[in-house]
Amino acid sequence: MPAPRIDYQPYDDGTQLARYIDRYPLSFTRTPSAPLIPRPLTLSELTGPAAQDLFPAGSMDLSRIAADAPRATGQLIQISGRITDEDGSPIPGAVIEIWQANSAGKYIHEADRHNAPVDPNFTGEGRLVTDAEGQFQFFSIKPGAYPVLESGWWWRPPHIHFSILGRSWMDRFVTQIFFPGEPLNETDLLLNAVPDRDVRERLIFQFEGTSMGEVNAMGFRRDFVLRGRRQTPALD
Amino acid sequence: MAVSPYCTIGPYFPASFVEGGQDLTRFRRASARGQHIALSGRILQEGGAPTRNSILEIWQADANGIFRHPLDPRCGDADPGFAGWGRARTDAEGWYRIRTVVPGSYSDRCPHANLMILAIGLTRRLVTTVFFADEPDTTRDPVLDRVDAAVRSRLFAKREKPDAYRFDIILRGEGETPFFLD
Repeated sequence: MPAPRIDYQPYDDGTQLARYIDRYPLSFTRTPSAPLIPRPLTLSELTGPAAQDLFPAGSMDLSRIAADAPRATGQLIQISGRITDEDGSPIPGAVIEIWQANSAGKYIHEADRHNAPVDPNFTGEGRLVTDAEGQFQFFSIKPGAYPVLESGWWWRPPHIHFSILGRSWMDRFVTQIFFPGEPLNETDLLLNAVPDRDVRERLIFQFEGTSMGEVNAMGFRRDFVLRGRRQTPALD
Repeated sequence: MAVSPYCTIGPYFPASFVEGGQDLTRFRRASARGQHIALSGRILQEGGAPTRNSILEIWQADANGIFRHPLDPRCGDADPGFAGWGRARTDAEGWYRIRTVVPGSYSDRCPHANLMILAIGLTRRLVTTVFFADEPDTTRDPVLDRVDAAVRSRLFAKREKPDAYRFDIILRGEGETPFFLD
């Protein structure tokens, strides 16, 4: 079956974070000063990693290092959602990578100098491929907040990082998703670098209720819309 | 439906997501056809300071100019030993290091690779294209043609050895790399 031709328009700035953020110095020293150059999209840009065969299998359960291992410390959560394009068509076979701090606000990363404890039962990262309906589901621990030490004041609210490889080079996507009702959401430089309330809400999980039984967890949902519309077939 | 908002990759992208991503010349235990090369360079910010801990991703055709993707009509002939996609992290001096092959030309595109940069301070990815040709002034390519002639040479990798190319990426400031609207 031939792959559908997808049309990719440049991102509408109204749907995105600002490029320059006050009190976030690296946004001023790293954002290019020259205008971005419009270009035609050729086969090279319209193709992209058929991602699922590039990666080793990952884990969809960050809350334990093995199926029979103890759970990490913290609030067990289920993270689910669906990936579609701008037409609302599901994107199956997309690779989702997530990473996050543990319940104490500590990442497994050499760059993390925060003096919070590492949790040996927490993996901190997961990877999966979306199903035929574009759906995904992870288990994890609710991340803690943590200070950005260089800033002298800025604390990041709890959030989970998402990296998504969709259908092409053009819909490659990376973001951070926040939790509803967190007091630090009001002061976060990134979450508040958005032009309007709708955009801000698309950066926040929806609370989906609780599950009880084999797994007792709080549920959070976030759907993603990747760039791309199916091209209207030319009329004969 | 409105597209989801991008946000910065931040400083804590897991090491395991980068491991093994720098070498495109081996895939599923096979070795890529064509000339294997090192592609390396520094990613610098305004003032020439290195960016440490930035993520660079690459997507390119194989040595015969074929993309391993269903949109490419020649996909069935794609090199089974070539990954096409890769990922690297910059070190303390801003260096990234990729092993790949010289991409083949196809149709009206001359040999090139797509690059994207994710880093602290960038709320969205930055995209550019690196070209592999000796003559920036006479190379014709529909994407390159959109770049001001005065700065086109900044998109060409420098051949430093027969099997080693260098391509520095200057995010902002003097010698700024041309980036494309995304």
